[in-house]
Amino acid sequence: MVKLRARCLLVGDAAVGKSALIHMFHSDGTLFQKNYSMTTGVELLLKCVNIPETNDSVELYIIDSAGKETLVEACEKMWGEPSLLCLVFDLTSEQSFANCSRWMERVRAHCQGLHVPGVLVGNKSDLSARREVQASVAQEWAQSQGLEYHETSAREMENCDAPLLSLARAFQSLYQERREIIQNLIPG
Amino acid sequence: MTESSLSALGAKVVVAASCDENHPPENIIDGNTKTFWMSTGMFPQEFIIRFVEPTKISAVTVDSYNVKHLKIEKNTSRNASQFEPVTEKEFEHTEGHLQSNAISLNGSNATHLRFIITTGYDHFVSVHRVNIQN
Repeated sequence: MVKLRARCLLVGDAAVGKSALIHMFHSDGTLFQKNYSMTTGVELLLKCVNIPETNDSVELYIIDSAGKETLVEACEKMWGEPSLLCLVFDLTSEQSFANCSRWMERVRAHCQGLHVPGVLVGNKSDLSARREVQASVAQEWAQSQGLEYHETSAREMENCDAPLLSLARAFQSLYQERREIIQNLIPG
Repeated sequence: MTESSLSALGAKVVVAASCDENHPPENIIDGNTKTFWMSTGMFPQEFIIRFVEPTKISAVTVDSYNVKHLKIEKNTSRNASQFEPVTEKEFEHTEGHLQSNAISLNGSNATHLRFIITTGYDHFVSVHRVNIQN
């Protein structure tokens, strides 16, 4: 049994639904924020995820960071060295998807060259009539960046656990992989 | 030079910031580099070793993997609190074999040594052996 700890960075453009998504996840689907209130700084949320079929768990320290361009620089100072990445865009906003590359660049600058498992999340899947980003396009870009793709609707409580659960799983496999390497090391 | 492991001398690890039950902190002081303690994510990480009595330490040796920066603090109290900084060191990155570093403590007297790993070369680091020279 192991309890792992991961610093999970939550980023993406303003108003794509990062906070709504993470509060749904954090409250196990009981709390959808109906009224929009822009995150202007950084909010820290703590959530422990049990990895199914194991005795292991991952304590996620989720850093919900403001997406608004003018606030990003100040928030970046609080990102630290992330262990995991959750990059969110709005399926009804082509622009928020296009800006994901910029977000990736910003995040990479904080990763010290380490491999940081990540997911790309297309949120607001309930607004199908207004969809501007096709799943196949998002999926392809995610793959090119080494991210796993998910679509969610925080409003309809659709799939909100999946991205974070998959991140927790990825962190646990990374741990197991590294532990195996260390077990096979030779003394210095 | 002492060749006995710290645990054979009665020392104990009284605090560790991470615990994988298969790689417990006691592995740090059992004198065996095949057994190890592993951090389970995020930095800083730390562990505290308590000696049976105030001990004069000229140097510590640390066998580890992926540790980037280590700070050492000490106290001469019976409790694991109120530490004072002693030294810090940046470790070289190694691949495929352990990092082995000797760190001078200039004959400091201590009942507790606190090891703070502030950064690593990976998400996880391991410490295989800590020994002291009197």
